[in-house]
Amino acid sequence: MGDVILEIKKMHKTFGPTVALKEVNMTLRKGEIRGLIGENGSGKSTIMSIASGKIPPTSGQMRYKGKEWKPTSMLEAQNHGIAMILQEANTIPGVTVAQNIFAGCESRFSKFGIVDMNKMYRAADDLISKFGIKHIKGSNPIDIYSFEDRKLIEIVRCLMNDNVEILVVDETTTALSMDGREILYKLIHHMAEQEDKTIVFVSHDMDEILEHCSTLTVLRDGDVVGELSREEMNDVEATQRIRYLMVGREIGEKYYREDYDSSHTGELALEMKNVTYKNIKNFNLKLHKGEIIGFGGLSGCGMRDIGRIAYGIEKIDGGEVIRHEKSIKTPLQAITNDIGYISKNRDSEALLLSATIEENIVLPSIPSLSKKGFISPKDEHQLAKNEIEAFSIKCHSGKQLVSTLSGGNKQKVSFAKWTAKESDVIVMDCPTRGVDIGVKQSMYALIEKMKREGKAILMISEELSELVGMADRIIIMKDYKVTKEFMRSPDLTQHDIIEYMI
Amino acid sequence: MDKGENMENIKVNDSSNFKEFWYNNKVTIISYSGLLFCIILFTIVTPLTGQSIWSPEKLSTLMSDVIVTALMSVGAVFIYSLGNIDISIGKQIGLYSTILVLTGNATGSLLPGILLCILLSIVIAVINGASGPVFKIISIIPSVVVMQILSGIIMIIYSDLGTRSISLKTIDYSFFKSPIVMVVVLVIEIIIAVYFFNFTAIGKYTRAIGANKTTAMQSGISIVKYRIYAYIIAGMGFVLAALFQMGYTGSASDSTGTGYHMNVMIAIILGGMPVSGGMRSRISAAVVGAFTFSILDVGLPLIGLPTRMTFIVKASIFLIVVLLTSRKKYGALPK
Repeated sequence: MGDVILEIKKMHKTFGPTVALKEVNMTLRKGEIRGLIGENGSGKSTIMSIASGKIPPTSGQMRYKGKEWKPTSMLEAQNHGIAMILQEANTIPGVTVAQNIFAGCESRFSKFGIVDMNKMYRAADDLISKFGIKHIKGSNPIDIYSFEDRKLIEIVRCLMNDNVEILVVDETTTALSMDGREILYKLIHHMAEQEDKTIVFVSHDMDEILEHCSTLTVLRDGDVVGELSREEMNDVEATQRIRYLMVGREIGEKYYREDYDSSHTGELALEMKNVTYKNIKNFNLKLHKGEIIGFGGLSGCGMRDIGRIAYGIEKIDGGEVIRHEKSIKTPLQAITNDIGYISKNRDSEALLLSATIEENIVLPSIPSLSKKGFISPKDEHQLAKNEIEAFSIKCHSGKQLVSTLSGGNKQKVSFAKWTAKESDVIVMDCPTRGVDIGVKQSMYALIEKMKREGKAILMISEELSELVGMADRIIIMKDYKVTKEFMRSPDLTQHDIIEYMI
Repeated sequence: MDKGENMENIKVNDSSNFKEFWYNNKVTIISYSGLLFCIILFTIVTPLTGQSIWSPEKLSTLMSDVIVTALMSVGAVFIYSLGNIDISIGKQIGLYSTILVLTGNATGSLLPGILLCILLSIVIAVINGASGPVFKIISIIPSVVVMQILSGIIMIIYSDLGTRSISLKTIDYSFFKSPIVMVVVLVIEIIIAVYFFNFTAIGKYTRAIGANKTTAMQSGISIVKYRIYAYIIAGMGFVLAALFQMGYTGSASDSTGTGYHMNVMIAIILGGMPVSGGMRSRISAAVVGAFTFSILDVGLPLIGLPTRMTFIVKASIFLIVVLLTSRKKYGALPK
């Protein structure tokens, strides 16, 4: 085992009335890839946010490289060798890729106070290519890149200093494209195994953790509830054991849908007719009541555009989106025709972070709550309360601000908006992104229930297992074109699908 | 074991209610405390100098000092909650006051003037509210343009009249000088504003738009429509304010209303509302802020502070309140 690099002692953190960490102890060593796994709100992100200076602890001590460690900012931590890749998009819009990478370090390229931009662009390009990324240019504005590419740029930024000792990867992979993930995996193995650096890998994707980590710490409700060595992770029972530790109870076998009945009613719920939008040409789709259509593909394949078009967010160049013989051109028209949309960009598009859970859940339902213009707070409260209970959103009241919730609980809120609205067609863009197994299980059960109730679901996902497990029909896209359709079948495997994506 | 955990959760719930309330409302509490502090201070100190802030005479001074700012600010909360700043407010008051005097003298009644002002305020509201999202420009720009146009119109009116101020000739305007009337009108305005702001889609939507436009749009809110509604409601407040502005002296001049948009902004910030709008917007911020400033206007001279010093003291108090409530930590000021 390597030398101790970071020691965390009795770390305690509260957010207002919420206790996020309960006097947690943890020791990180050189050369290890430490997995941190736990349900939403278990405190796994919080620990490393404190160690990397993003937030201060309420109490507790840290020792880094044998000295007391009290970072006051992420920049300070990064300069001392602790870098963190965050869960949500964290790039600065409106400037170039290079400016993002070297934010705070412009002086490296400046002479007499004037920054030599060309030098910065060259340095950025060198750095980017070192990571095996070919399609990103340092001199381009960051806004032209997709969410997934910006995440890659964040990774580059974290590692621009050669002095990184601890790299924290916080739920990053769910935001990356397939090839982005491969780049990241290769990188962390190289850093840990060749350079003796420490990687902290925060995730709740069990497969990923089991495949890549050398030690695993399991958290639940702000407590460390278990630590597994590599040998223990290789055990056949490991998955069951970790799940048990995370959830604190047996969660049973049922996860995805168990039936293979892909039938649905003949009644049309949503139709896309010859839709043309940017690179998508003449796209046609018929979604029926009681049907789940899954969309899969690599990032940038156009599947997410389909979702946005179906909900009227994007102005299409040609064709029509039709529900109940009405054309859908704006989100307002979509909502009035009982269509709901769960955005992948949870914090920036799906939720009002500064609002309470209650205010978020009732937002789309306001027109139906309104009685001659008057909206009774009691009705709002009741509607929100039902959803909070149905989704078991972890909060102490509906008046809690959404910004104080963990990722998965936020996702539940953005789901709850549309169940409260009783939408009949729901477009879900990565519905279980950043959500752990316990919650995922209940969301899948909910989606299945919706199908049985005759709701129509458009499920866009980057997790193939989810599509195979839930969809009646899977449409695979590549370069803005449909490359293949699969019907629900017990024989269908992820392998069959992947070749049509790449 | 499950039961034990539940018990623990329930216990946490009870003890955290106060904390939760404090966490969500600390800015409001601090701003209210500011007003409360001023009230208590002047109540205790003013009798020592032989006067009382609670004397009918001083209360009526207070009301006439606060009324215009309060009426404007309550309306302006709708605009500010969108995250918008309207700097045409002052000139709107100027133009409406002028119209009220002119039509009052021409017709012998204030009613036609009031109707004309309401009509005009709706037109201005549509321009101010819609042009931002329609032309994709930040909302302060149209309000600058509107302000300049209104200044121009006011200038033309007064140069045509060949005077710099006009006053009501036949109409008795003493009604607007009654502090009782001021209190009643302000209370009614507040009730109506609170109703729209807290119990109808208009208020809920404007706050949502201020908090996150994209989320608001994806939740089915028509941004342009609700922005216009917000500006129209605010415009009603401005017409009301103009009525009292004009009614106090029965006159209007080419400089009436100049700089009032700053008074509105100060009142709203002093009341603890973020200038960036959003979910923490409240009607009470406007009222608390307007009264905090006016009570200083009235109270400071009473405790022997020379009038020339009041600006400095007010500025210091403003700074303290802003430091306590609007620091970036709470996301109150635009980023």
